[in-house]
Amino acid sequence: MHKKGLLGQLIQNLCCLPGVGPKTAQRMAFYLLQRDRNGAKNLAETVLQAIDKIGRCQQCRTLTEHALCEICADSSRDDFLICIVESPADVWIVDQATQFKGCYFVLHGRLSPLDGIGPDELGLDLLEQRLATGSVKELILATNSTVEGEATAYFIGEIAKKYQVQASRIAHGVPMGGELEFIDSGTLSHAFKGRKEI
Amino acid sequence: MNAPCKAWGLMTDRAVYLQPAFILQQRKFRETSLIIDVLTRDFGRVSLLAKGVRKAKSKTAGLLQPFVPLTLSYFGKSELKTLTDVEITQPFPQLQGLAVYCGFYVNELIGFFLHQFDPHPEVFACYEKCLSGLSDSSTIEAALRIFELDLLDAVGYGLQLNHDFPDGRAIQPLTHYHFNAEQGPIEATDGSFSGKTLQALQLRQLTDPQVLAEAKTLMRKVIAVYLNGKPLKSRGVINQIIQHL
Repeated sequence: MHKKGLLGQLIQNLCCLPGVGPKTAQRMAFYLLQRDRNGAKNLAETVLQAIDKIGRCQQCRTLTEHALCEICADSSRDDFLICIVESPADVWIVDQATQFKGCYFVLHGRLSPLDGIGPDELGLDLLEQRLATGSVKELILATNSTVEGEATAYFIGEIAKKYQVQASRIAHGVPMGGELEFIDSGTLSHAFKGRKEI
Repeated sequence: MNAPCKAWGLMTDRAVYLQPAFILQQRKFRETSLIIDVLTRDFGRVSLLAKGVRKAKSKTAGLLQPFVPLTLSYFGKSELKTLTDVEITQPFPQLQGLAVYCGFYVNELIGFFLHQFDPHPEVFACYEKCLSGLSDSSTIEAALRIFELDLLDAVGYGLQLNHDFPDGRAIQPLTHYHFNAEQGPIEATDGSFSGKTLQALQLRQLTDPQVLAEAKTLMRKVIAVYLNGKPLKSRGVINQIIQHL
């Protein structure tokens, strides 16, 4: 059921958020209008500003309000080491969880033949240009561990080979604190194939 | 004779147990779920809702991938069924590199030519054979051509490769032919397909590079007729990828 008027419109527009259905949207709309009008105003202004100002970093394609993102502009980071990830959220996660001190490159997706997403949509020409300058020493392929993520990693690995840049794939297998009994057979067989010497 | 699997007795039109299947395509649904399009052996192409599989502790996320032979259990009255159980059928050939993209192409073809809930056990068998062909880099092209032929056969668009049109003479290896998807080979001195290629396609014995190249052009032409102007997305992506490499 669609309600009419501005309130109805607000509820419907809130539904564009991931995980928000009509019921949640309704609750949000009433909360903003009844209890936190100031907060709502700030939210609206910030959203408008963000849409207007936040674009993609010229070098790594992550989201930023400047021409270069903080990481690319940071001179203490090694720009010969590039970690390739699928989304800007992955940049945050990798940066928080690891000691990685290089730069990133964000694909904004993965090669997905069935959705018609190819190398051009992922900005791989930009990456190729960077590889062609010869300043990059190693690529770390941190795409997701799905068939499409693997296929994307393979493809970027082939490009790296063309420019004689070393490429490595992040390891996947038994999770920390994981007991073998409870691990699915696919992951376990992968972990066995990727075992390393100690 | 051994008694059939116990689970069979429990099967109804609402619930299906331990059905051999392959995932063709998957897309995210809500926060933690997936909608997967699968090719089952006995029930054709089915859409399933896999609830909660994208959670961090999910045990099935690693299994629900394309090109992995699975046995699935699901139930539901509506068009979208709910997945209840997944098991992997070990061992399976793994696709690597370009073969993965070819696999997606095959999946797209199935999505185009098979209707939902239209059982085609023979296509399922061909698909399995095709995947094992794709896993060996030397037989990729041949595996694709044979699958295309078998798929067209199964859905009623089978090619006429025995006799020429309109005279019905047997195909001669050294003669050249034009090819019409509905009528079959037409003898012509400037034809782009040799009789040798047509015979090889008929026998599903594709090894000669010349034959493979001609077969590719022929199958592409025939499939284009049935696609009716609709582009294959995977083909566009594969072309882009080949240009980059």
